[in-house]
Amino acid sequence: MSLITNTEDFLEQTGKISRFAGHFFSHGIKPRFEIKELLSQCYLIGYKSFPLVGLTGFIMGLVLTMQLRPSLVSYGVQSELPVMVGIAIVREIGPVITALIFAGKIGSSIGAELGSMKVTEQIDAMEVSGTNPYKYLVATRVVATTLMLPILTLLGDAISLFGAYIGVNISSVTSLRFFFTQVFQSLTYSDIVPAVIKTLFFGFAVGIIGCYKGFNSTKGTQGVGISANSAVVLSSVLIFIIDLLTVQLTNLIGLN
Amino acid sequence: MAKQGENNIKLGLFVLAGLLVLMVAFYMIGKNRNIFGSDFELKARFSSLNGLMEGNNVLFSGIQAGTVKSIEMVNDTTIEVTLQIDSKVKSFIHKNALAAIGTEGLMGNKVVNIQPVKAASFSVSNGDMLTAQKLISTEEMLQTLSKTNNNIASISEALKATVLRLDSSAIFDILNDKTIGPSLKSSLGNINKASKNASDMTMGLNELVTQIKQGKGAAGLLLTDTAFAGNLKQAITKLKSASDNANKLTLQANMIMTSVNHDMNDGHGTLHALLKDSLIARKISISLDNVMKGTDGFNQNMEALKHNFFFKGYFKDLEKKKQANKALPVQ
Amino acid sequence: MPTVLNTPSDEKTGTVTSKPVIVIEHLYKQFGRNVVLEDFSLTVYKEENVVVLGKSGAGKSVLIKCVIGLLKPDKGNIMVLGENVTALNDDDLDRVRSKVGFLFQANALYDSMTVRENLEFPLRRHWINISQKEVEKMVKEALENVALLHTLDMMPSELSGGMLKRIALARTLILKPEIILYDEPTTGLDPVTAREIDQLILKLQKKYHTSSIIISHDMNCVKNIADRVILLLDGKCYADGSYDELEHSTDQKIKQFFE
Ligand SMILES: Nc1ncnc2c1ncn2[C@@H]1O[C@H](COP(=O)(O)OP(=O)(O)OP(=O)(O)O)[C@@H](O)[C@H]1O
Ligand SMILES: [Mg+2]
Repeated sequence: MSLITNTEDFLEQTGKISRFAGHFFSHGIKPRFEIKELLSQCYLIGYKSFPLVGLTGFIMGLVLTMQLRPSLVSYGVQSELPVMVGIAIVREIGPVITALIFAGKIGSSIGAELGSMKVTEQIDAMEVSGTNPYKYLVATRVVATTLMLPILTLLGDAISLFGAYIGVNISSVTSLRFFFTQVFQSLTYSDIVPAVIKTLFFGFAVGIIGCYKGFNSTKGTQGVGISANSAVVLSSVLIFIIDLLTVQLTNLIGLN
Repeated sequence: MAKQGENNIKLGLFVLAGLLVLMVAFYMIGKNRNIFGSDFELKARFSSLNGLMEGNNVLFSGIQAGTVKSIEMVNDTTIEVTLQIDSKVKSFIHKNALAAIGTEGLMGNKVVNIQPVKAASFSVSNGDMLTAQKLISTEEMLQTLSKTNNNIASISEALKATVLRLDSSAIFDILNDKTIGPSLKSSLGNINKASKNASDMTMGLNELVTQIKQGKGAAGLLLTDTAFAGNLKQAITKLKSASDNANKLTLQANMIMTSVNHDMNDGHGTLHALLKDSLIARKISISLDNVMKGTDGFNQNMEALKHNFFFKGYFKDLEKKKQANKALPVQ
Repeated sequence: MPTVLNTPSDEKTGTVTSKPVIVIEHLYKQFGRNVVLEDFSLTVYKEENVVVLGKSGAGKSVLIKCVIGLLKPDKGNIMVLGENVTALNDDDLDRVRSKVGFLFQANALYDSMTVRENLEFPLRRHWINISQKEVEKMVKEALENVALLHTLDMMPSELSGGMLKRIALARTLILKPEIILYDEPTTGLDPVTAREIDQLILKLQKKYHTSSIIISHDMNCVKNIADRVILLLDGKCYADGSYDELEHSTDQKIKQFFE
């Protein structure tokens, strides 16, 4: 599936998404607040994604450690393994991999859910039932993804580091305490804070794109499928673009 | 509705767990960066920082004791570094402690090392200025080591010649030879320098060994190689004895020189010298023996060092340079 | 609570005796270059069942979506219970909507919610301060009306098409609206179930004295429940009269529908 058929389409699409996102700030976060729905979305989006994020995070930490080890050994600096893995996970791999997994799970589910709600007129039904669907469906989901992804990332990082600890212990012996001391020795606030902040944007992107694609789903099951699919593709691409922007920005303001 | 409540509890746990991770991470970093530590500060002035930056660690006797808070140029040759010191450590630092800039490992971050001095002194108070110690880098140390080695080699060369002459010719000739005085003197000067170098070296190497023991060794490489640390320690001990020997020798030779010079200048001249002949000859010969022994030991140490894999590269480079220098005039 | 109309119906005479509840004037609506409604006008009176006929794609759904404010017409006025829905803000529109029931062509039941939650949704959304007891009572009553009380805690995916339609009907009626807009209530159902739905609509209309616009292709249904029949053609109100009048019309275009 080609994401962009031509430039005009691309520009139109960008404009529409921007307007959709703008609507979030101009209308979505004004009363009346759908607190109950927000909580239930947070539960579904955050808590329910945790096992997946935890599992992938664990494997990632383990594999990363095992992959990095040989080259560090060849430089004779395998004792620096926790430091390297720590920085890699906290600064980049944790946030990005978690966000991509999240986009895959949540972006597609939002796209498909709202898409099918759209084509079966459930969204219209909501509006008729005295509910602003943008606030009820979009704002809650976007806020939930924005708030839950950083938490998932933090927990994922922690589990990843635990995986890395096990990875280190496969071929040598380190105490958990010493491992974390080493990891945190080289970490600074400027490693963690931008990493957390960028996951806020990742989460926002996943939420907005999922909702936009769902809301603009065309009729039929195929339309819903396309919505889900393009929500994942587009939000994954956006995650990388935001990642690039963050690293440039943090460099610019000298946080690196 | 009960399910909703249950879900909210799970969500609450989930969010709290996330925040907990964030807080622990911040705390762990804060502990390292001393954000939650004290506002206790010490100062030290250096002529060069060798790349020390704000936020670098401060070690006291090798343990984490704080961070570099600020760096300020006082004038073109003086830089004042403010150290933020952990409240737990501050009471152990005395006013006469020395601050030096060192490296975590061979190529790691710069650190400020605060070393206690044996002599008694009061505990530091907030804002005290610590005496700065000139930094000794591994590079410098190795250079000094090689210089010392060369010096000792040339001294032993010169002394050897003297001894040969002493052995072959009559003591008379020596005494008559006007050149022997100054040459002996310059030899002694060299020995002096060499022994000073050697003692500097010892200190430097000692520090290196301490660092290695602390696990701050060459990028983790030395960490594992305890055998190397042992070798180095041994080398240093030998070096120390060599330099002690050299010292002793210098004293003895100095005494002889003074007496010889004295005699000659007094006009007692040859006769007196002759009287002392046997004594002098024996003394000089013993001294030279000692020198030989000292240099031998030193050379052995140098050999040992050369064979140690860690310094191999350095000596190879030295050799190459030498060869290049030799080759140059031929071209 | 909405006021339930208590004025007795003057039976289905087709004669207009009461005040208008929906007034549509010169309505224009187009999507891009596709002109759907063009100068459409219609008035619906109290306790009247108006059936809208029209070919597929004629714009029937668009018409009633304009009435409830889901679509904004390009031109024209729509007065619902005395308020111009084309010019209302969100809050006022919600207030009007709480008095208007809308049965969607495809049911539009929330498939992530149980039947109970589906029914509770409009209740809790429109009447924010309603008590739990009252909600339960009204949900039960609505389900009893469609004879599906046993499905209370089932998911929509567990129900058959006819059951879904009836649940959707129950949801539409739970607010006891003054006006109900039905979009093809019997399409896709077997004749027996379709008759049941017809009877249900009539029964509820009698019980709650509602006015309605019903879109249907099912001539049996039209015959059963229509007080007045409208033919939507080319974006305009092509014909307007009782079932009998239209059935015996000689107009070729009208005849097509009654064959
Ligand atoms: N949201 C929309 N965007 C663009 N075009 C639309 C939209 N909704 C309806 N249309 C167009 O308006 C026309 C009328 O559609 P509508 O759904 O009202 O038909 P209908 O009369 O209800 O037909 P059916 O009996 O099949 O339900 C169709 O041509 C349709 O393509
Ligand atoms: Mg329709």
